[in-house]
Amino acid sequence: MTERRAARIGVVCALVVILAQLVVASAWSLGHDDPTELALTRQCLEREKGLAVGPADDSVAASASGGALATVVEGNAVTLSVGRSEAEVERLRSAYSASDPGTRLDLHGRYVALWHREPSPTQRQVTYDCAY
Amino acid sequence: MSRRYWGAAAAVLVAEAALLAWNAWHYDWLRGYDAFANERYADVVSREYRLPSEAESGVWHTPPLWFALAGALGRLTTALGLGHAQRPGQLLAAAAGLVTCVLVLLLARVLWPERPVLHLVALVLVAASPALVRASAMYHPETLAVALATGGVLVAARALRTRWTIGSAAAAGALLGLACLTRAWAVPVLVAVLVVAGLHAWDTRRWMPVATCAAVALALFAPWLVNQQLAHGSALAFNRPPPSGSLLERRPASFYLGPRSLRALEHPITPLFRNELVPHLYADWWGDWALTWDSPPPPAPAALLPSGVVSVRARQAVVGVVPSVLALAGLVALGLLAVARRSLSFALLPLSAAGVAAAYVAFAVRYPSPDGDTIKATYLLMALPAAAVAAAFVIDALRPRGRVWATAGVVALGALVAVQLPFLIL
Repeated sequence: MTERRAARIGVVCALVVILAQLVVASAWSLGHDDPTELALTRQCLEREKGLAVGPADDSVAASASGGALATVVEGNAVTLSVGRSEAEVERLRSAYSASDPGTRLDLHGRYVALWHREPSPTQRQVTYDCAY
Repeated sequence: MSRRYWGAAAAVLVAEAALLAWNAWHYDWLRGYDAFANERYADVVSREYRLPSEAESGVWHTPPLWFALAGALGRLTTALGLGHAQRPGQLLAAAAGLVTCVLVLLLARVLWPERPVLHLVALVLVAASPALVRASAMYHPETLAVALATGGVLVAARALRTRWTIGSAAAAGALLGLACLTRAWAVPVLVAVLVVAGLHAWDTRRWMPVATCAAVALALFAPWLVNQQLAHGSALAFNRPPPSGSLLERRPASFYLGPRSLRALEHPITPLFRNELVPHLYADWWGDWALTWDSPPPPAPAALLPSGVVSVRARQAVVGVVPSVLALAGLVALGLLAVARRSLSFALLPLSAAGVAAAYVAFAVRYPSPDGDTIKATYLLMALPAAAVAAAFVIDALRPRGRVWATAGVVALGALVAVQLPFLIL
């Protein structure tokens, strides 16, 4: 076997492997809608952190275009709202700031978290782990 | 070899040395993998001359060689008032990264002595590998293990091309034993070398070299394995117990199938396709899936992740497609050539890469992690030298001859490097 022939077979094999991967991914994409950030966060909190997740019940969270949820992390209740843009995150922050939440309000990317009490680092980390 | 050849090799190595030293100097050591646990380990082993307990360091399961060196160097420079205690460990990782590049060049020269283009392409591919560049800046043992193991493979390949002597067998065994004493990811490489050396012994009826290689490697590595077995109940103990139940049920189908692979080219950062093996690994190899490189340290308080952070990693992911195909193709091609020509030296690279990949998948399946912690590109770094040489082989075997094509090849290789520089330079 010549080196050139071996290299050609190698390229064909590599392309077949990558093509198979892309076919699987494409087939999956056609059959599924990518879940929203909120759905991924809910799934993460429930399946990976073992938490009970329910609907958010405050008016600011209800206005978040990315949706909102509520849960309890290590005994501390939290409402998580998802903004779609930096401007919306700022709007949510301002709306919450009217009630002077201090360190109970935590921003992380597109996520705005309002905690019942000031969160501990481990409580905060749980929500960061599930932020998409 | 011509003066131009040596000039090009020297230029690449000087540039790589500058890049790795710069990055090691500027990279915040605490952002590297297991940084604090690594520091605790180095401190205990270099100050108290003992291994850390499970409570003292989260990486107690890692062999001690690099920690002993980094800890001793850190103590020395601190005593001399030359800076903080972790910088020497980072510079040691950078030096090991550079040595790996040199060894890849030499490995290509041993396997194909008359193919200067192949040598230089292999050198450029390994030097521009984002996984190597990132690992070389961290306070972490990975690159030292890779350099030692590559040295062992080089000695073995040279012996297979010339003659296995007791001296070369002992040198290969010593380098691979020390690599195993740095990171357990070197064990599959040691096994590959011993398998090839064993087949060579079978052909030549000379068993002393392979026995020497195995004996020297085991003499260095066995005490560590015995200690782990006695202290932690398993020679290959990890810092968490594996979950109970069948191996086949530990990972969901998405781990194997990678349904979000297409998004690896567009949004290759955490937490997307977390724990989907192929896209997760690919994104971390060519970029920085977990955002531990040149990005705002998470959490980013009151700010969205800058769009540039995503776009530069997406560009890396696109750049990586062709080299990845070539590396895979090269490993298959070398495997075919090894079988067709009964060439054990050609078999060394695909066998070691396949061994490392198999160990990597087995580890990721055995220890599933909700945050994707057990899928990291640096864990697979041990396969980089074989992958770089294999990709260079395919390029050299298939490239059309002629001055125009040679110029086009140089331009393409230069573009591959240039496009990556904004990501690679901190």
